[in-house]
Amino acid sequence: MEQTTTDHDTGGIGRRQLLSAVGSSAVAAALAGCSTLLSDGETADQSEQSGGEISDEPIQAGLLTFTRGAPGVLGIQAQRGAELAVQRINEAGGIGGQREIELDVVNEGSNPLDSYNQFIEEGKEVTFGPISSGTHSQIAPEVEKNEVINVSTDGTVTTLYEETVPDPTYSFRFQNYDIMEVVTMAREAVERIGADNISTVAGVNPGYSFGEDEMRVFTQAIQRLTDAEIVYEGFPELGASDMANHITSINNEEPDVTFSSLWGGDVTTFVRQANANDMFENTTVFGTTLYSAAGDVPGDALAGTDIYSGSRNYYWGLPAPGNWQPGRELFDAATQQEGVTVPTAHYMSGYGAVTAWATAVEKAIDLLGTYPTQEQIAQVLEGHGFFTPAGYHNIAEDHQGASNSFAGQMVYDDDLGAARLEDVNTYAATETAPPPGVTGSDWLDSWSA
Amino acid sequence: MAVTPTAALVQTLNGIQFGFILFMIASGLTVILGILDVLNLAHGELFSLGAYTAIGVFGFIIGIIGPPGGGVVGTAVFILAVLAAVLVTAAILLPVGTLFEAVFLRQIYDRDQVYQLVLTFALLLILLDVKKFIWGDSSIRTDAVYSAINAIPTSELVGLNYPTYNVFVILVGSAVVVGLFWFFERTKTGRIIRATAIDREMATAIGVSTDRVFTLVFALGAFLAGFAGAMAVPPTAATLEMGTNPLVLSFVVIVIGGLGSLRGAFVGALLVGVIRSWMITLYPPGEIAAPFAIMALILLVKPEGLFGTWGETA
Repeated sequence: MEQTTTDHDTGGIGRRQLLSAVGSSAVAAALAGCSTLLSDGETADQSEQSGGEISDEPIQAGLLTFTRGAPGVLGIQAQRGAELAVQRINEAGGIGGQREIELDVVNEGSNPLDSYNQFIEEGKEVTFGPISSGTHSQIAPEVEKNEVINVSTDGTVTTLYEETVPDPTYSFRFQNYDIMEVVTMAREAVERIGADNISTVAGVNPGYSFGEDEMRVFTQAIQRLTDAEIVYEGFPELGASDMANHITSINNEEPDVTFSSLWGGDVTTFVRQANANDMFENTTVFGTTLYSAAGDVPGDALAGTDIYSGSRNYYWGLPAPGNWQPGRELFDAATQQEGVTVPTAHYMSGYGAVTAWATAVEKAIDLLGTYPTQEQIAQVLEGHGFFTPAGYHNIAEDHQGASNSFAGQMVYDDDLGAARLEDVNTYAATETAPPPGVTGSDWLDSWSA
Repeated sequence: MAVTPTAALVQTLNGIQFGFILFMIASGLTVILGILDVLNLAHGELFSLGAYTAIGVFGFIIGIIGPPGGGVVGTAVFILAVLAAVLVTAAILLPVGTLFEAVFLRQIYDRDQVYQLVLTFALLLILLDVKKFIWGDSSIRTDAVYSAINAIPTSELVGLNYPTYNVFVILVGSAVVVGLFWFFERTKTGRIIRATAIDREMATAIGVSTDRVFTLVFALGAFLAGFAGAMAVPPTAATLEMGTNPLVLSFVVIVIGGLGSLRGAFVGALLVGVIRSWMITLYPPGEIAAPFAIMALILLVKPEGLFGTWGETA
């Protein structure tokens, strides 16, 4: 199959750089979805390179994610993404051409730290997840103590690498984090409505650290971009069945912008009840993770709404399928899996976390000629660039992953049987993330008003 | 935040609507407590089971009659179908309640109350697994009912922006209140149940079968929980965890109203619903604490709750 890749789609880097970033292995190519690109003789056979230096014992890996309940709407996406990445690695011969991965998945549930510790007691060589910011804040210090690499799928609270684990060695995060997706939506609000037209802002966000963090960052960002006043903040608990009070308050204030980081099943409850209360006649909603419910929100709930949503790190239509076929291939493969109507950013959370780790290990094997230690993998992961079907990703020296983010109008597609984004804008990581070593708050303060 | 009179009215209506859902749950809990002297920890799971069951029943019944037709007749037919689905759901819970009482609870009435707590907690866990086995881990929804009923322009007639489904809950909840009081005040069965609540030994002495009454009351409690679940699920989703919060709030409601008092449950549910609603509006962090604060305050002033125990007055 003939494919072409433009510099625009690959974040502005050329073909040789792309090959270097992907890594010269079948595993890296399979994960990036660009096997044709790499089959022109420029890469050596991995099994010849690693030879007998690497054992053929399967790698035991663990994934902590939400597999049920309202959070399962996105947790299962992360699980399926991780499973597909593992399947592709194993079909390509395994890590180093010899070591297949066995992935053990547990529900994040009410005792996530116990589940994580169980993984360590079982001798897992790598762990992925969690979804929740609260869980991630509990686990990250344990990861550092245990010295076993964790690449989180989500757990995106801004303060994780600023305060909780300020100098991490073994803890990494694949996902674009809170400040990136919030700044994306603040820029999107200005792009769509215009700074001069935003004077009042309300927020409805989940009532725990993630939602509070997102509202705090959005407030700071939007007030640097506009002269907006915050007129209402509501924080419903996760899985709330009744959001009518928050919706009535928004109708009372009629804010120009309503910001929301509700996710999973809460999105559907909120959108349905907001629509029933005619809230969309009074405000325009901008949400970081509303699209996480793409396959769950019914068409009648979205009819007549005015919602712009982000898709943190992956949208199956971008980079354009004509120029970057892997995105479309992943979409098709994902929709064959149980429980995935449409793959969302959280699908890429799982896929990308596994890919980040696997491509780093492959790179280390290339460098060392043998299977690397945890410390060596950690060293390679710092500053590691790699491709997935979503495009190019980088994990900076502060252990934070970064990639393009996407935002567009959320509409219901009858043919797809799910929500999709329309009229999508792309935001580069440099527009949405502070440079390594600068805290999010300081970076936002440095913006000229 | 300045609240307009319209917003104040809507927030109060939101609280009343939530209060009616709470009452439908708490009424079953309080009737079982009043007669059987059993604090049923599985009651929230019966509510949740009602929500899951309702999704299938709504789908079946609406599948038969089709989408809501136009005009007054079509709308009336659809509403009647929804009401029928709610009643069928509640009726499905009747044998579940009967089974629980006859097979499990009847064996331990004479034992210390801690046995009842452990047993009903075990039933709670079993119901959780049953739900997981039948419906899986993911949340499920019913899409047709909420939007179809909201399409009926009711509140607009008085110039108010308020979902018709909430009006529907308030009206049906009011009918449940009237029906329950009528049942316990006016019917022979209701009077026998009240008599058993007031003096179990005397009721037995005059020929009342307490076994039969106990089974009937537990089944009635399950019916009310199922009814509440069916009414509560259209605007949201059925999830495995959905029984926990209503159960806790129902305990608060029946403590405020007086353990086992139906009238107390009604007043307590509306009190908790409206105060919670206003707390979310004026001071959101107080949402969870407010019902407990009211409960503590009432217990300080009236340790037996607002209406004391149930039986002599419904």
